[in-house]
Amino acid sequence: MTAISQHSRLRSLCLLSAVGWVAAGMGCVGSAQAPVGQKAIGPRFVVVLDAAHGGDDGGGQVGGSVAEKTVTLALSVRLRSLLAARGFAVVTTREGNVALADDARAQIANHATFGAGSSACVSLHASQAGTGVHIFVSSLAPSAATRFLAWKTAQSAYVSRSLKLAGTINSAFEHSSAGGDGDSGDSNAGPIPATLGRASLPGVDSMTCPAVSIEVAPLRGEDRKVTTEVTDPQYQTQVVGALAAALLEWKTDSEAEPHSGAGRLP
Amino acid sequence: MIPRYQKIVFVVLLVVSIAMGAILVRLRERAHEQLLKGEDLAPTVAPAVAPEVQATLMVANDTDGTLLSEAHSLPLPKDAEARARALLEKLLEIYAGAEAMHPVPGTARGVLQVFLLPEPESGKGKGGQLAVVNLAGAFADGHPSGILTESLTVESICGTLHANLPQIAEVRFLVDGEPRATLAGHADLTRTYLTGDLVTAGPAGGPDGGNSAGDAGKP
Repeated sequence: MTAISQHSRLRSLCLLSAVGWVAAGMGCVGSAQAPVGQKAIGPRFVVVLDAAHGGDDGGGQVGGSVAEKTVTLALSVRLRSLLAARGFAVVTTREGNVALADDARAQIANHATFGAGSSACVSLHASQAGTGVHIFVSSLAPSAATRFLAWKTAQSAYVSRSLKLAGTINSAFEHSSAGGDGDSGDSNAGPIPATLGRASLPGVDSMTCPAVSIEVAPLRGEDRKVTTEVTDPQYQTQVVGALAAALLEWKTDSEAEPHSGAGRLP
Repeated sequence: MIPRYQKIVFVVLLVVSIAMGAILVRLRERAHEQLLKGEDLAPTVAPAVAPEVQATLMVANDTDGTLLSEAHSLPLPKDAEARARALLEKLLEIYAGAEAMHPVPGTARGVLQVFLLPEPESGKGKGGQLAVVNLAGAFADGHPSGILTESLTVESICGTLHANLPQIAEVRFLVDGEPRATLAGHADLTRTYLTGDLVTAGPAGGPDGGNSAGDAGKP
């Protein structure tokens, strides 16, 4: 009798673990847990902010001697505050100077957006090259959604939505101004020049949500000399304001199309 | 008790070993000196002067994120691999210039080798080739960090190769002969870039018409 009981208990345990594995496989490509303190998944609009680099990986140098990781974190914190004030559910991949692998970033994003009604994933970068803001979408060719997605090309099922999100963000930058949507500034600066492009980025290519990479570069004059550094707080506020406006529009559009499945498999 | 003759033999062998070691070290130093002297000497055989031919370089512009097609007359070798390397060296030389629109610090030899191999997926390729570009570690280490600048470098290399050697359908990258995750922290170097979908010039335009060489790249 005891032997039978132990046998059935063992079988239950095996079944439970098997169900767990299947659920993990069906659930999402990445199965990393969200960072401590972040909310559970639910049917809502979720924004994932990924401050690139961190820890030992400082990224590039911007504005003279400031590490890219510092600027991306500052942008992430500012944008998170702005979005939270507007009632957005925001998940950040890092809140401090910690190192995160590209796969871990994608896992956090996939975990946070799984089951959400709609979503947007924004990877934040900074660079000294070029001018204005560079908006990148994964260069993977769009593909039809399948139940299981290959990890390295999971974004391919979302590329069409990502392109639309990039268009919305580009439009927001075209209409941005220093005092526009941000919480500051009385500068007379005009719209931030934005460039759209496609690039292959390891973390973003594994995200299962509409995803864009935003690279903030200094503003330059006609002689190509830097007029506003990336580290300029007012410039950062203007960038963050434009991004918040774009995400608000994206959310509104997503809610207007309840069956579009903006955050699910297209 | 060790016999006397054995002690003598041991001492003699020890002295001979030390002497041989010293001679070897000296010979090695002399060979090294000769090698260094040899590098300074002018070549004994005059290099064959290749005729100048028209070449198209896809030159990147950081300001608007575009690739611009530029025609140059260059003395290029006939061998396809050597020609590809010469083209890329010229491209990187432009980027190292003071007024470059896509500034990248120059190195003595940014492209170590270019290997041309048959395209792995022969069914698709129809005789196409895969170019494996082996970049110098010094070039990759000194490359400015950023998505735009790194992507433009990769795209301009792919575009220049395809513009002059149309049989090149795919491009892969190595750094110092080894696979490397990214060029300088952003652009993925682990994937194969397809050259066929490259938009040759003009602004990046809309998101649908990005100028990426890897628009339909393979992981």
